[in-house]
Amino acid sequence: MANDSMEWSFQTGQGKNGHIPLSLENVHVVYNIRRGEVQAVRGVDLELHAGESVALIGESGSGKTTLGLAIVRLLVKSAQITQGKITYRRDGQEVDVLSLKPKEMREFRWKECAMVFQSALNAFNPVLRIWDQMLDTARSHGWNDRQAIREKSLDLLRFVQLDPERVLNSYPHELSGGMRQRVLLALSLLLEPQVLILDEPTTALDILTQRTILDLLRKLKEEQHFTMIFISHDLAVAAELADRIATMYAGAVVELGPTEELFYNPRHPYTLGLIRAVPTVAGGFEELFSIPGSPPDLIDLPSGCPFHPRCSFATSKCQEKEPSLTQVGPNHFAACWHWHEVEQELERNPLHRGVHAIKEGGAS
Amino acid sequence: MTPIFELRNVTKAFGVGKERVIAVDSVDLTIEQGEIMCLVGESGCGKSTTGRMVAGLLPPTAGQILFKGQDITKMDRESYRAYRRAVQIVHQDPYASLNPTHTVREIITAPLLRHKKVRSRSEAEQRAIELLEIVDLTPAGDFMGKYPHQLSGGQRQRVSVARALTVEPEFIVADEAVSMVDVSIRVSLLNMLSRLKNEFNVTFLFITHDLALAKYFAWEGRISVMYLGRIVEEGPTPRVVTDSRHPYTQALLSAVPEADPELARRKRRMELRSADIPSLLNLPPGCTFHPRCPFFVEGQCDVHVPQLEPIPEGGRVACPVRKSERIELIAL
Repeated sequence: MANDSMEWSFQTGQGKNGHIPLSLENVHVVYNIRRGEVQAVRGVDLELHAGESVALIGESGSGKTTLGLAIVRLLVKSAQITQGKITYRRDGQEVDVLSLKPKEMREFRWKECAMVFQSALNAFNPVLRIWDQMLDTARSHGWNDRQAIREKSLDLLRFVQLDPERVLNSYPHELSGGMRQRVLLALSLLLEPQVLILDEPTTALDILTQRTILDLLRKLKEEQHFTMIFISHDLAVAAELADRIATMYAGAVVELGPTEELFYNPRHPYTLGLIRAVPTVAGGFEELFSIPGSPPDLIDLPSGCPFHPRCSFATSKCQEKEPSLTQVGPNHFAACWHWHEVEQELERNPLHRGVHAIKEGGAS
Repeated sequence: MTPIFELRNVTKAFGVGKERVIAVDSVDLTIEQGEIMCLVGESGCGKSTTGRMVAGLLPPTAGQILFKGQDITKMDRESYRAYRRAVQIVHQDPYASLNPTHTVREIITAPLLRHKKVRSRSEAEQRAIELLEIVDLTPAGDFMGKYPHQLSGGQRQRVSVARALTVEPEFIVADEAVSMVDVSIRVSLLNMLSRLKNEFNVTFLFITHDLALAKYFAWEGRISVMYLGRIVEEGPTPRVVTDSRHPYTQALLSAVPEADPELARRKRRMELRSADIPSLLNLPPGCTFHPRCPFFVEGQCDVHVPQLEPIPEGGRVACPVRKSERIELIAL
């Protein structure tokens, strides 16, 4: 492998030509605990296009992390994928992820699909230097050329804007939180995966460090055309990085669409509620509204649409039957019986978002 | 009117072996009765240490903290107790700040009885119910017998606030009080706190790393931005948010991700000269932001420690180089 840091952008050729590296069909995940069955993921369908980044947003307990872990099959023992299909494609070949044997699964993980975890410190072995962790990762996937691994590692660390030699010889505890997050990102890219899953990639970081990581991820997306799934409770991270957003509530995708559509024309009351609850910094001053009630008990879900007890649009129909995703606009889907009314509500009370909201006054 | 708090040149140093870390360095801050003062900054900037000193949980190493004009270190026993009662703190982690073996009833009634706010147990019970209603835990009767683990994060934080209210505080230090709570619940907690300000005239010191929250909660109050132990900029919230002058404030505002894709795209980026925050053990001379500041002037910023100076638009800025320069955050 040459010293050119761009050489590993192997994916560029594939681009956005209709290739779908990953698709999920009707995926269900259940945790078996003493109190009963926790319905953590309930029938998720999602197609991930090459080079696109999709953000899974939702509150704690919405099932977004469980879904991410299900894709790389790293769920805890008490969890089970009870239904559904996960298909992975590369170079014209198709793999049924859920039927892979443990050895094949280890191959698949990291090499095809890597996951960057929320807590960067826990993801490292504390007694090994970064270099040894790089080496271990490469070797366990059958790559034994030390020199090449070293060069690749140095390239990647340079790409994430770290001092490569110094970091390679450091132990995890010698690095700051932001540095560890960047090292983890470099490590996840070591085997040139096609798909990257990032779980709360910037959550525990300070603002300026967070910005460095966001810019890096954006670069990864725009220059290297990685296919990425972001898991985040932070709408701002989704607004910065995602091409498409999937809102999750009670284990199901309740709205799916292009980022701008979701932010400016949400059609599910829950997405609308989230947006109305989050302030911007550079925008005007606006009144915020919280969503009444609290997230549902996943063992004993409310009947019908699980959001109905918190929803101001709910009618008796919502208590009886759970809506499925229906098309509400170009590439835009929502699972709500009353999405037309959400649209009308937004006509009456528009969201003060986007640049025109600043021009209209308020802040400046 | 005498301000409720006045910090004069307050410094807090912690010992690390032979070395000393200056967590808070010569902070001057005045908080008026009934206002919301917001302290923002990144981890390690000294905002929580400042909050803890104000609440009387840590003594300052140097400088004076005046509560209604009286130095808290020189108070007689009686006034000191009155001060400690008047100032309450709500912590970040509602999982750690409530005793897991006590019910909500015990958590709320114990301070009522201890501070003789009520004359009997039944009166304590009555008052506890009222307090739970104030923090929107209704029907209050349902919550009295519950243990903290039976409550959600948001509900626990409400219990913490209700507990703080038992002693009828005039001042609440809210240290990242809503940071651990889910987005959809956060706003109702903030609105509940605002109501305390309006209905009970409680003054707030609101400590947060989240600029968007600071903007929302303290829109009618003031923001002070801290960096490595010093206040670098201070002023009315609308001014600080829309017309910041200190390069560090500007760096924070330009770095914050926006929950609005168009704003996110159009936001002006500020390139820092260095991404790394200096260690508190080895602070740079002069302005501590100078190694990272894009407006660095050699011979000035690395030599002189800038002082907070008032600007005509409101508040104070500790940057003689940039205090009169306006920048637009969003490219319109």
